[in-house]
Amino acid sequence: MVTLNDRISCHTPNQDGTTTQEYFINMGPQHPSTHGVLRLILKMDGETVNDIIPVLGYIHRGIEKKAEAVGYRQQVHLTDRLDYLCALMNNWAVSAAIEKALNLEVNDRIQTVRTIIAELQRIQSHQLWWGVFGMDLGAFTPFLYGFRDREKITEIFEKTMGARLTMNYFQPGGMMYDIHPDFVKDIKEFIKYFRPILKEYEDLFSGNIIVQERLKNVGIIDAQTALAYGATGPVLRASGMPLDLRKMQPYGAYSKVNFTVPVGTVGDSWDRYQVRIQEMYQSLLIIEQLIDNIPDGPHMTMKYAAKIKPPAGRYYTQMETARGIFGTFFVSDGNDRPYRMHFRTPNFNNLWSILKMAPGGRVADLVAILSSIDLVVPDMDR
Amino acid sequence: MNQESNMSANSKTDQSASALAQVPIENAKRWPDLNYFNKIIYGASSLAKGMKITFGYLINTKTVVTQQYPENRETLILADRVRANLIMKHNENGYHDCTSCHICEGVCPNASIHVVDRSEPTVSKKELGYFVWRLDSCTFCNLCVMACPFSCLEMTGQFESSTYDQSLLVYNLNQYSGATQNNLAKLADDQARTSAIKAISPYEGPVALEGYHLAGIPKEFLPQKSDAKTSQAREGVNP
Repeated sequence: MVTLNDRISCHTPNQDGTTTQEYFINMGPQHPSTHGVLRLILKMDGETVNDIIPVLGYIHRGIEKKAEAVGYRQQVHLTDRLDYLCALMNNWAVSAAIEKALNLEVNDRIQTVRTIIAELQRIQSHQLWWGVFGMDLGAFTPFLYGFRDREKITEIFEKTMGARLTMNYFQPGGMMYDIHPDFVKDIKEFIKYFRPILKEYEDLFSGNIIVQERLKNVGIIDAQTALAYGATGPVLRASGMPLDLRKMQPYGAYSKVNFTVPVGTVGDSWDRYQVRIQEMYQSLLIIEQLIDNIPDGPHMTMKYAAKIKPPAGRYYTQMETARGIFGTFFVSDGNDRPYRMHFRTPNFNNLWSILKMAPGGRVADLVAILSSIDLVVPDMDR
Repeated sequence: MNQESNMSANSKTDQSASALAQVPIENAKRWPDLNYFNKIIYGASSLAKGMKITFGYLINTKTVVTQQYPENRETLILADRVRANLIMKHNENGYHDCTSCHICEGVCPNASIHVVDRSEPTVSKKELGYFVWRLDSCTFCNLCVMACPFSCLEMTGQFESSTYDQSLLVYNLNQYSGATQNNLAKLADDQARTSAIKAISPYEGPVALEGYHLAGIPKEFLPQKSDAKTSQAREGVNP
């Protein structure tokens, strides 16, 4: 077994047989391109990264422990604080787990609206990622453009949910409010607005020669290794494995819609970039298929009681968020509070794939790799 | 591992492999790899393409989306469901509907709500004394508003609530200690109603976990409860 000590003390020889001194340097926890308080200990030789040791725990809030102290209805608002860019999909996952425990079937209206909102959130999350990705590579324009278009979706959310980032909107048994009367009109306007803009994103950034040079054949990981590291979402799909829970175990209204899963061929940073861009097109397609015929029905199928008591047992639900598989596991002992709550968060597992991607590359490549994984640090530490 | 479990593991892998094979896929687009000279030509044209978009936006002033906050306060339109500061609804005569049932206190995930019963109720058996709301620990999850059986809570669009002192973020939401408007309506006249209630200010009463215990403010700067002057000053900041 290779311990951390071995990794720190071992020496990586140069290819030509010469020896140069290796040194350690901290990247983070206060570093703009780690997107939060992630600390990476880099073992470097000149500009080359030889080994990389991620250190977590700088934003650990004990959410899983806190979950044991609050009731089932309060769990939803805690999941807003995991992956805040996919807050609604996290809400959905924990609500669905509680619904599964209560043996509660929600109606078609709730399923359809949840699916539409989840896809909007996927676009919103990818827009922010696109902006920040450009910023990490040294371009400021994508950051502004990404946030400008993200604001359009945020406004749609604000109208229906009253919140912009931590929504707490999907509740066990339905939604907190019914959709806003303008919801359908606003989304149609947004789709009409965003399609040409997405084309513009590609003209501005994807085709750019600097972007191509910095991303192509950088941070390659093959599908089997990515799977072994537990990576999911665009990171795994870019390696060529079309693992998408929306297709494999359809939930919500995904079984009713037609869409394809973009997969990469090489597994480098460029594939991870392009997979996300193409996912935005697919999300627009999904929304277009659902938006015109939202079924009628109530927006809440259970009484809004302060306490929920699921029968004793173990329950697990998983969903495909913008970053991969988000799973909620809880053990109920029949009380109004879970005995144990566990979240399987995509970012924690995606992070470790940099151990295979980064070594051998330069520091600047590491920044591009980190950004192409699209990490959200509060989701790892929770 | 015995053979049986080995076989079942294999069949499971086969099953998921066939499920994976059925997923309709599209390959991620890849720009062709170019040689050195083609790269120069392609690179120049790609940079020009990007600059065209930038200059397009520079010329077209219709695309400006910047908002001049706080200068645009008067024209700023917020959605009607915006969740910001919590208030307790009072009717036109200044009476509320809260029966001090403590449901909101129980449903609040981070103990931001503390409901104190009135020590000497005058009209009903149980009356609301103080409805203490801590903005500093509130996450605006809206559960209290949803859980209230009498719909007397509301999240308003008032979002400008920054102060220099954390203790100023702990509010009393009710404007008086006393019974609900329905119970007060049973009394004879306005004078009886006025004597049955006690008007209170937003920063009055036994405030649970007053903010200044946490903020690291030295003791000599803490407001004294009996000090009328300080109390007035605090009210003046955010009435």
